[in-house]
Amino acid sequence: MEKEYKSKYYSHVVKIVLIFIVVGVLAVVGRNYLLPDTMGQYGHYRGSDLEDQRNVEVRSHTNESCFECHRPIRLIHKAGVHKTVSCEFCHGPYADHVKDGKYVAKLPVKKGMEIKELCLRCHNKIIRARPEESIKVVAMPQHLEEMKVQVDHNCNQCHMVHDPLLWIKAANEMMGMEMKGDKKN
Amino acid sequence: MSVAVHGDAVAAAANYIFPNDLHVHWSLMIVLYPYITGLVAGAFIVSSLYHVFHIKALKPVARFSLLFALAFLICATWPLLNHLGHPERAMSMMLTPNPTSAMAGFGYIYTAYFIVLVLEILFIFRPTVVALGQKATGFMKMLYSVLAIGSDNVSERALKLDQKIIAFLAAIGIPMACVLHGYVGFIFGGIKANPLWATPLMPLIFLLSACVSGIAGIIVTYIFLMKISGRKIDVDCVQTLIKFLWGFFILDFVFEMLEIFSHFYMATHHWHTLEALYSGPLFTSFWVAQVGVFSVIPFFVLMAMSLIKFKDSLLLFIAPIVSVMILIQVLLMRWNVVVGGQLMSKSERGATTFHPMWFEKEGILPAILIMIAPVVILWIIGKVLPFWMDDDGVETA
Repeated sequence: MEKEYKSKYYSHVVKIVLIFIVVGVLAVVGRNYLLPDTMGQYGHYRGSDLEDQRNVEVRSHTNESCFECHRPIRLIHKAGVHKTVSCEFCHGPYADHVKDGKYVAKLPVKKGMEIKELCLRCHNKIIRARPEESIKVVAMPQHLEEMKVQVDHNCNQCHMVHDPLLWIKAANEMMGMEMKGDKKN
Repeated sequence: MSVAVHGDAVAAAANYIFPNDLHVHWSLMIVLYPYITGLVAGAFIVSSLYHVFHIKALKPVARFSLLFALAFLICATWPLLNHLGHPERAMSMMLTPNPTSAMAGFGYIYTAYFIVLVLEILFIFRPTVVALGQKATGFMKMLYSVLAIGSDNVSERALKLDQKIIAFLAAIGIPMACVLHGYVGFIFGGIKANPLWATPLMPLIFLLSACVSGIAGIIVTYIFLMKISGRKIDVDCVQTLIKFLWGFFILDFVFEMLEIFSHFYMATHHWHTLEALYSGPLFTSFWVAQVGVFSVIPFFVLMAMSLIKFKDSLLLFIAPIVSVMILIQVLLMRWNVVVGGQLMSKSERGATTFHPMWFEKEGILPAILIMIAPVVILWIIGKVLPFWMDDDGVETA
């Protein structure tokens, strides 16, 4: 004689199937409530996200924003071979410095050998990523040896960082020398 | 580049990496994610070897490995949630299914596997749960009643029905465990822009290393739990697990090596980058640690353990050590694949380095906490569903 049970032998299986059906129905119904209103408005994303993205704070500006205050640098920078280089490449984002047209904090200034590191980020010969005509690349300390200066010299001892050839051109002029590239013109 | 030069020397000799390649975005958390899902898939395979393939020797760990798999599966998403941030948005993946996104597929694959695993545990433990529920009082009685799905029927007829359902769940569970972890491998193998990842062998290697880590994890925890609770260890079970571990590890290690050697032999146009990577930043973590120490040594130790009859005490002494080595091997493999693949520049001219910090959001400490969590969860599960009990709620062995 088998023991009597309160539940039928299949009752747990039926309950599981019922749970699945209830959860499935809840999921389908609940989905409509949980989906953002603008989902799928333009594609497989929330349409109002475009608005959100538009309201994201602009952190980077163009050089013209910097030049509004930094007038003297503007003249030097715009005249030199670095004229196409963004101020922010070396100084950091505008938003860290100015907010709502007001000065908020000082941007970190590169000092000492940090300057060398910064220059080599673009001017390192090992990069070989751009043609020589568009960017001058050098190997260190080979370049210093060729220029006959001490190998512990920093880049900004010869090159004015905002117009790298400014002092060199001036020195050449004083000495009555011509630069390598000048002869062709 | 000379092969004699390696490690940081290579990194210093020729190194240019684009600024957008400098930072390793898929950090330690993404190393843990395949590691944890691998443990889940592997532990499930151990259970299936008993429930589907009727390897009788594995009976002592068959139930335990299911709970082990569940504990780790619960935590499998944690590294992802921490990595991505905004865990409250996780459900969006389920609400707005995207059939063309491989990554978004995870939500459904994970959930489907979770359901199968939970159902299998509920059905396998039902007689035990009913027996325990009759002895329990108060909250525990209610909990056991819920876990028994509100049924007290453990008649022969009910158990026969359960057996059929268990066989079905275990049978679909194997391909699903393979899909879950094969999918994780596919996520990497399918990234064609990364020559280290882009290989159709990736899902296979991930799957095999998953089996290996799962079996090793079960061996370590089984022996440890038995030792601390003063129970008798089933030597035959450990011996069988070691044999399966060796079998899966042969395949795993051979495929890992074949993958590299076919890249090397074909010398495809990305080989110079991979070579620089393997002889450079990955030299120590791949060749020395993963291959040299934690693959070759366990390989021969497992071979000896499988072919020679060891004394029981020696077997039980070496088994956890070699299993821990295998667990480290798999973790290193995840590291070398996930982080290693990001150390090379898309410029193919250099490599970057990556050293996780202790206290950052995705650092070493959060990684340790996430790895401890499944152990704590397993301990809690063990309070409700005892690991070593038979259907009548009586302690085995």
